[in-house]
Amino acid sequence: MEVFEHLATGFMAAGSLENLMFCLIGVVLGTLIGVLPGIGPIPALAILLPITFGLDPLSSLIMLAGIYYGAQYGGSTTSILVNMPGEASSVVTCIEGHQMARKGRAGAALAIAALGSFFAGTIGTVFIAAFGPPLASIAQQFNSPDYFALMLLGLTMAIVLAHGSVLKAVAMVLIGLLLGLVGTDINTGLTRYTFGLSGLWEGIDFLPLVLGLFGIVEIIRNLENPPPPREAISTRMRDMWPTKKEFKEAYPAALRGTGLGSLLGILPGGGAVLASFASYTLEKKISKNPRKFGTGAVEGVAGPEAANNAAAQTSFIPLLTLGIPSNPIMAIMMGAMIIQGIQPGAAVMTTRPDLFWGMVASMWIGNLMLVVINLPMIGIWVKLLSVPYRLLYPAILLFCAIGVYSTSTEPFMMVLMIVFTVFGYILFKLGCEPAPMVLGFILGPLMEENLRRSLVISRGDPTIFIDRPISATLLVATVLMLCLIIFPQFRKTREEAFQEE
Amino acid sequence: MVIKSPQDFGAGILFILFGAVGLYVGSDLTFGSARNMGPGYFPMIICGLIALIGLIVTVKSLAIEGPAIERIQLRPIVFILLAIAAFGILIAEIGAVISSILLIMFAAYARRDVKPVETVVFAVTTAAFVVIIFVYALGQPMPVWWGR
Repeated sequence: MEVFEHLATGFMAAGSLENLMFCLIGVVLGTLIGVLPGIGPIPALAILLPITFGLDPLSSLIMLAGIYYGAQYGGSTTSILVNMPGEASSVVTCIEGHQMARKGRAGAALAIAALGSFFAGTIGTVFIAAFGPPLASIAQQFNSPDYFALMLLGLTMAIVLAHGSVLKAVAMVLIGLLLGLVGTDINTGLTRYTFGLSGLWEGIDFLPLVLGLFGIVEIIRNLENPPPPREAISTRMRDMWPTKKEFKEAYPAALRGTGLGSLLGILPGGGAVLASFASYTLEKKISKNPRKFGTGAVEGVAGPEAANNAAAQTSFIPLLTLGIPSNPIMAIMMGAMIIQGIQPGAAVMTTRPDLFWGMVASMWIGNLMLVVINLPMIGIWVKLLSVPYRLLYPAILLFCAIGVYSTSTEPFMMVLMIVFTVFGYILFKLGCEPAPMVLGFILGPLMEENLRRSLVISRGDPTIFIDRPISATLLVATVLMLCLIIFPQFRKTREEAFQEE
Repeated sequence: MVIKSPQDFGAGILFILFGAVGLYVGSDLTFGSARNMGPGYFPMIICGLIALIGLIVTVKSLAIEGPAIERIQLRPIVFILLAIAAFGILIAEIGAVISSILLIMFAAYARRDVKPVETVVFAVTTAAFVVIIFVYALGQPMPVWWGR
């Protein structure tokens, strides 16, 4: 079995004492930031990104992946205990999980969420190991037109899944693409949109952009509208064990969630958010007793939690095999990889197998660590919820500033961070969500390059996109998605889904 | 003319401005043709689309009711930006410890009713902690004190 050989390579690489330590640091820091109310994985990754830069590529990716899972776990904890979702993918956990907590089953809800996530994480890891290589060989048949069509589909999905107005989301993606083009044009060496600033010659720096848009704007938002103080429901270790009945209800839901999440994670535009909503809807549909949903249904915690974790893992597949991030979180991961000097894509698997498989193995290790540190240490995380915000935010701000300074001592970086803070603030006031913009920002140069190459191959004939079966299929999918947006009935469900937040 | 959805109206205008500036600045770049795309080809198409969407959003905001723009509170954003600016300007001159303390002090004033003693104590401990992590544990190159 080749899969096991590969995984063995991975565990060798990820199992070194050093990497285990970075994995642990990653999941602990991720949980730490993720538990804080209102901070989801995107700001958490942005804030913690700089501390991984000094490490070697594998360690830094292991740590980043750990931060991501940690933040997601932390977010679930906050959802269940305080009813405050840190991010869209734990919104549904909030619905059922917090109801369970209010009925005195907080411990069980946490345990079900953690065990469901761990199970899904395990399957997700096997999934990547099994499907990564075949998908990478399919990826080798991908040509420029196919890449272009795939990115188009990914961006369309990002628009469908964004909150609020569709038109605004389209504009945000486009602005992201444009910002991604700033800098030197690879083909001609001409600088574009640099306004004569030498700091922009190599493009807009990723770190000040994400820190400004997500880290700092988040702080200002919370200062303007302080979240109402909410009492965390306390729980003890010995109340953690789910009852037999709860377990019986939970495990089939977790199984379904894992399957659904693994599949949805691979899709362009898919990921944790889509998976948790889909799983919740599924559980509600097939339940014999749909009326208990909304009052603390165990399935409504187990399913979505398993689904979002499975999807969080499998959404690494498009990034690692095709080099295309499928959602804003993966866009941040890709940004981090590029800063480390790794161009994600099918080549990583053959040129740096230790890197690819080490990362896959570390995902499982990270998930195991999360169960261990989350369940027994839940008391510590709950304590963290009581740290007053007036102390938290200056520390987070300092972290952002030092992070930027430590990667580049250019004062221009601080200026960029300030500019993107102001820009993000304006977007917030105008009700525009910046997450799709990051995806556009990362994809901008790639899309241009692939469009250019496609049209050079076809001598300017756009039918090349329809002639190739792969790109034609992807384009049909894109058009279908667009129809869904325009189709009024679907639009209504989309609005309803986001209403619940 | 009545603006029915101030948020969307603002967003529309922002998009139009973005697109227009992009088109204007990009007009120097060679457009080329589909067969031989110049550096201006892709960006100009995108800017055009941004401006177009801006136009649609603006027109819609005149017809369809929507949310108002929340009041802008100056205190948080001004103090947060001041904190970053002070840090960015001063770190090369006076080192990480003091500029970190300054950042936290400025940031603290982004809220009302600041507790001065608590803030100072917190600023000093956090600065020490962060410098230990970044400079000593992670080995990031940055001046700890002035005069280096």
